[in-house]
Amino acid sequence: MNIWNIAVKEIKSSLREKRTFMFMLALPLILMLILGSALSNAFDDTRTVGDMRLLYKSDGTNEQVSTGWHAFITAIENEGVEVVQAGPGTDGNEEVRADRYTGYAVVSDDGIEFYGSSKNAIGSNILAGMLTVFADRYSLASAAYQVDPETALATITTAGQNDEFIRETTLHPNKKPRSIDYYAMAMTTMIGLYAMINASYLFSGERTNKTAIRLMAAPVSKGAIFTGKVIGCTVINLFFVLVVFLVSKFVFQADWGNHYGMVILVLLTEVVLAVSLGLGISFLFKGEGIRAINNIFTQVASFAGGAYFPIDQSGGFISLLSNFSPLHWVNTGLMQIIYTDNPTGAWFAITMNVSFATAFIIFSVFTVRRREGAFV
Amino acid sequence: MSHVLEIRQLTKKFGDFVAVDNMSLNVREGEIFGFLGANGAGKSTTINMIASLLRVTKGEINLLGKNIEKHSKFAKMNIGIVPQDIAIYEDMTAYENVRFFAGLYGLRGSLLRERTEEALEFVGLGDKSKSYPKNFSGGMKRRLNIACAIAHRPKLIIMDEPTVGIDPHSRNYILNSVRKLNDMGCTIIYTSHYMEEVEEICTRIAIVDHGKVIAEGSKEQLKAIITDTKEIWIGIRTDEPLNLQALKAIAGVTAVLQEENTIKIVSKAEINNLNRIIQQLIKDQVEIRSVEEQAPNLETVFLTLTGRNLRD
Ligand SMILES: Nc1ncnc2c1ncn2[C@@H]1O[C@H](COP(=O)(O)OP(=O)(O)OP(=O)(O)O)[C@@H](O)[C@H]1O
Ligand SMILES: [Mg+2]
Repeated sequence: MNIWNIAVKEIKSSLREKRTFMFMLALPLILMLILGSALSNAFDDTRTVGDMRLLYKSDGTNEQVSTGWHAFITAIENEGVEVVQAGPGTDGNEEVRADRYTGYAVVSDDGIEFYGSSKNAIGSNILAGMLTVFADRYSLASAAYQVDPETALATITTAGQNDEFIRETTLHPNKKPRSIDYYAMAMTTMIGLYAMINASYLFSGERTNKTAIRLMAAPVSKGAIFTGKVIGCTVINLFFVLVVFLVSKFVFQADWGNHYGMVILVLLTEVVLAVSLGLGISFLFKGEGIRAINNIFTQVASFAGGAYFPIDQSGGFISLLSNFSPLHWVNTGLMQIIYTDNPTGAWFAITMNVSFATAFIIFSVFTVRRREGAFV
Repeated sequence: MSHVLEIRQLTKKFGDFVAVDNMSLNVREGEIFGFLGANGAGKSTTINMIASLLRVTKGEINLLGKNIEKHSKFAKMNIGIVPQDIAIYEDMTAYENVRFFAGLYGLRGSLLRERTEEALEFVGLGDKSKSYPKNFSGGMKRRLNIACAIAHRPKLIIMDEPTVGIDPHSRNYILNSVRKLNDMGCTIIYTSHYMEEVEEICTRIAIVDHGKVIAEGSKEQLKAIITDTKEIWIGIRTDEPLNLQALKAIAGVTAVLQEENTIKIVSKAEINNLNRIIQQLIKDQVEIRSVEEQAPNLETVFLTLTGRNLRD
């Protein structure tokens, strides 16, 4: 019952703050419109997915793999991807860099190495997605091979012949994001991450406000206070994220794909991650430190995670940095759902979100339990 | 007489620092118990242990006969704390503040509403219940701070310097509220830096210094400690800190303290040493403006016992 009281109080306080509305609703929607229209030309210039060209080199000696690979090639060629085998002496990476190919794949017995074009990020993402599916199949098959070569071979060949790789990712050759679609997603997830700011003041705010004293003096367990606050904070931030999502979808007509349940699940886990990250920060740092870390983290993570423009994944500092941004995996996951119509494409993002969230929550609970007077 | 609060050999350490040192005291039902001590004496630390905000290092605290650590919920239900720092939400109305905190004590529905209104009415904020505290004066915030502590009708109300930094009107209002709460059957622990306040409303007083109770009793009992004591105030022209060691050496002098341009000297009453004191000051080339002997009050008691002033 007290959990409920505390959660409701948290939600009410947030709804009352005009700044929160500006920050969590107006800002992302305005940015969405501005970036979405200002950069629409840049997005229209990118090639259609139908123009995808894959260069490959096959070093494999394993017959199963190469049979599978050829079936795979045939299948994706039918979907409109141009596939070219690299001649001896061709520098595949260079070919991609020169924008002659969307991606370069080196197939060996150990797996597939893929080098995607940054100039056609969507195309190369899709190629990478298809290759991943193939690689999964292949390792499945090779695992099976040790038991029964016949079945393994069958798996690969049938798979190829039935276009199953492709169907699994259900490629829509002409589907590509307009800039408003991209920023609808990027801004929504950015606002989800901003939940950490709100969360980092959940307890530190009570501390500066001295109201922590009253909470601690009341006959309410630390656990109830903690749970109530975390629930309240998650609900209110999820609310903001969902409003941004809905406005972008119904007012701005942004494309969010066909799997809304999965999209919302990704957003929910992202908010949970952001809330627990904020909590963790509030127990690790004090006062100005909390504010500084919040600012730096949200800015760097937004930038590196592709909130302002898609990040070139071909290497370099930013693409390295982007691996540490929750927005990177969340956005990649959502792109999988939306543009390859693959609802399972976001499981990696969801797993990452949930794992980090769990770690930070455990850390916070531990600190609250141990700290004398918890947050006085 | 039954004890609302029993503190037995209570110790609180912060690392190696002993903030409360083997303190024992009892607060009886119906008392307004004054807790006097200079900055850092350990008043808030003691209070915070009573209110379960700090863990007890050693010793025990019993509320209404029950150990507060073993019966934490019971203890918390029966205590209302008015913290030294104002502890309210600025973004919630006065009414919502009181209702939220009272709600944490299990009050619900119409009872919650009644008690919330009653508490606001009690501190004179009945007509401000829909206003936000950010527009309140210091005195009004202090009053709201009290309302938040009493809506659940605790048996023991602990007030940690509830009158700091407010106008005389609010102060009087608060002092009257304390008396009224007491008349309604609440036992009160009251800490303050203002000796006059404590003298005015407290029925019993403990003087705390360095985490220890160094004197305890009614104000008459405390003043009895100093019947053989006199306090002399010497007005001087400068407010520069002076070296007053020589004065302390004079026979009969028990405490010397300079407070801006007044030197306060506590001395044994039966020794006539005023001449020697003045001679010493003249020798030290201190320009004297006035000399007066004070009627002994709690301030004298405090000065005598601790050698320090209550306020810095
Ligand atoms: N959390 C803490 N950690 C370390 N030392 C502390 C802590 N809280 C209080 N102290 C120290 O314990 C001593 C007693 O502090 P306390 O706040 O109880 O004094 P007080 O009598 O209430 O003083 P004041 O009149 O200034 O409110 C002080 O020296 C203070 O610095
Ligand atoms: Mg204090």
